[in-house]
Amino acid sequence: MPVWLREHSWRQTLTAVYLSLPLRGARATPGSIFCSEQYLKVSIPPFLFEAILYAPIDDTNSTAKIRNGNIFFTLYKKEPAMWDSLTLANADKEKLQYLRENAVLKAHEKAKEETEAKKITKQEHKKYALEATMKLEEEERKRIEDLKEKERQKVAKELELWKNQQKDGDKYKSMQKREELHQEIEPLKERKSEKINKTQIPNEGTSKTRLKSTKGCRGSCSIFSQNLKEEQLPSPRAAATIKVNFTPRVFPTALRESRVAEEEEWLHKQAEARRMINSDLSELEDLKEEEKNPDWLKDKGNKMFAMGDYLGAVNAYNLAVRLNNKLPLLYLNRAACHLKLRNLHKAIEDSSKALELLTPPVPNNENARVKAHVRRGTAFCQLELYTEGLQDYEAALKIDPRNKTIEEDAEKIRHLIQGTMQSS
Amino acid sequence: MSAAVGADRPQVVSHVQQALSYTVFDCKWVPRSARLLCLGSAARGTGIIQLYELHGARLELLREIEKPKPIKCGTFGATSLQQRYLATGDFDGNLNIWNLEAPEMPVYSVKGHKEIINSIDGVGGLGIGEGAPEIVTGSRDGTVKVWDPRQNDTPVANMEPVQGESKRDCWTVAFGNAYNQEERVVCAGYDNGDIKLFDLKTMSLRWETNIKNGVCSVEFDRKDINMNKLVATSLEGKFHVFDMRTQHPTKGFASVSEKAQKSTIWQVRHLPQNRDVFMTSGGSGSLHLWKYEYPAQRSKKDSEGSEMGVAGAVSLLQNVTLSTQPISSLDWSPDKKGLCVCGAFDQTVRVLIVTRLNKI
Repeated sequence: MPVWLREHSWRQTLTAVYLSLPLRGARATPGSIFCSEQYLKVSIPPFLFEAILYAPIDDTNSTAKIRNGNIFFTLYKKEPAMWDSLTLANADKEKLQYLRENAVLKAHEKAKEETEAKKITKQEHKKYALEATMKLEEEERKRIEDLKEKERQKVAKELELWKNQQKDGDKYKSMQKREELHQEIEPLKERKSEKINKTQIPNEGTSKTRLKSTKGCRGSCSIFSQNLKEEQLPSPRAAATIKVNFTPRVFPTALRESRVAEEEEWLHKQAEARRMINSDLSELEDLKEEEKNPDWLKDKGNKMFAMGDYLGAVNAYNLAVRLNNKLPLLYLNRAACHLKLRNLHKAIEDSSKALELLTPPVPNNENARVKAHVRRGTAFCQLELYTEGLQDYEAALKIDPRNKTIEEDAEKIRHLIQGTMQSS
Repeated sequence: MSAAVGADRPQVVSHVQQALSYTVFDCKWVPRSARLLCLGSAARGTGIIQLYELHGARLELLREIEKPKPIKCGTFGATSLQQRYLATGDFDGNLNIWNLEAPEMPVYSVKGHKEIINSIDGVGGLGIGEGAPEIVTGSRDGTVKVWDPRQNDTPVANMEPVQGESKRDCWTVAFGNAYNQEERVVCAGYDNGDIKLFDLKTMSLRWETNIKNGVCSVEFDRKDINMNKLVATSLEGKFHVFDMRTQHPTKGFASVSEKAQKSTIWQVRHLPQNRDVFMTSGGSGSLHLWKYEYPAQRSKKDSEGSEMGVAGAVSLLQNVTLSTQPISSLDWSPDKKGLCVCGAFDQTVRVLIVTRLNKI
């Protein structure tokens, strides 16, 4: 049950009501006051003050002051009249409730309206700002356009002026020339003091003239000028030929079509292969430091091959491959050893593996690829698989068309094939 | 870089635009006049020469000449000012010199090359340069030939590939160094990026280099002086400016290169009135105006004591995009500073005026 605050005091004028409400120690905040047109409530739990006002008031302009434990209300009447009392007498419960609810509703509606109004004004402000900026930008653009137009017109005028000058200049010069020519034709006929005139005429000839030149005396004079010009000009050059070479390029195409990308890839692959080491073999612990280096092993293998110790070379290459199975040269050299040892199938395997590793095909690994093809071809031929062998020889020839031995060997194989086909 | 209006930069103003009914390959001003020529190829496979005159804000067609073969390039460089004969190279390899007053029969005609003549240049005429008037043509058949209009049928100089060498298309040629009666050089650019400088006095190859991308256009800044600068433009938006005053025995000429745009730079043309200003036209339909600044010292000694050149710097003055198609030809008027004509592959020819060139 709320505690009713009943010790209020009030006084009135024609237009306003002044109500003073002591709060008995309770603290009031602006949120605890609720006021509508005819209903006033102050609720500070557990205290409660409620009043159905005698007549409607203007609740937007009315004020409440919270001070010293009191609330002072200044309520402005809607209609200036003297009230008999602050509140409506004989207010029964239902009417009270109805009025209360009404008041609440009204307050809500008011709040809504206020927010609506706020929104609308905000939008309008935004629109205005936008339009203002648009206008400014338009002006800027126009200014620039105007400047450009002015430039254009100025320049067009200058052009016209220049053109007219040209035309006038030409007319004047042509008239001048006609007069001078008339004057000069007599001295020319006399063939005296020609030197002076002759030197003058070529100068006239090179001055500004129009495309349509007048004929007649001009023609005869221009003959003179032509002859003079030719005397001054050197004779045509003696014909000669200069031979040129063009910059040799492996790929005769422009930079954008070059195979630089593939060359890069190849180099990259090589670098990677070198770095990789299969180091997870237990037997490696027995080896000396240098024997763990695939390059050193490869060199050892090469030496043994050169001395004829093919089995030793194979061993060396085997170990190297176990250490690093990405180096194509190891397989290539091992294939050569197997060829010598007549392990033809192994030779073919190794050459194939080498070729696999030698992609992408770039000039850098041309030599290696040629060797691989030749070795595989030889192995095939020795196994009497002549067609496969020929294929490999032709591939080698494609890479290196200038190698005579490969050509001759390929020819031999072709003959062999034809020979066997005929006999079978 | 956008056009800064109101600053002191030169502006490129588009004065007249003329739509054509054929593909225009070359456009040239007729010297000492406000007339211009457009050379090209009609859809039916014949060559067209049109002569226009500038009248106020439009071009008036004065004359149209049709020839059996499409015409690729032309020059007034080798004629005298009275005659103003036009030398053209066509798609069939024929070099013709026409008198535009009487264009039915050419004044000079020779089947110079087996394939299309890509580029032509003339020197010794128009009161510019000394020595005999000569015309040089560069063709797809890999040869560069120099012709004298007084000698029929055979060229006076022929730069051809060595026997057995595979040929490269020659895309551009230019004369230079014609400062007295004997001296003359021809510079040729090829599609594999080769630039070769031939000396016609000694009939030898004076210098060659390779700029990796096909060379679309070369031009000396002036034909009639001791050779000063050479600009070579290429595919992929690069151009090189070579300082031609100092030739090092091994390193050749010093150069500075600039990447202007992503597309091919089709043409470079120096302003006739100021040899340090040039315009490049690009495959994206844009024009760039550049200025070259010389370095403090144009040559210095290297470690062995031989002279080598020092290249300067190039700065962009202005750029403008006029079309969506490449601008394939460009010519400055020799009479009015800043007036130029350009022809593009969108079948239009445009007359432009570049302002404020006096203030550079």
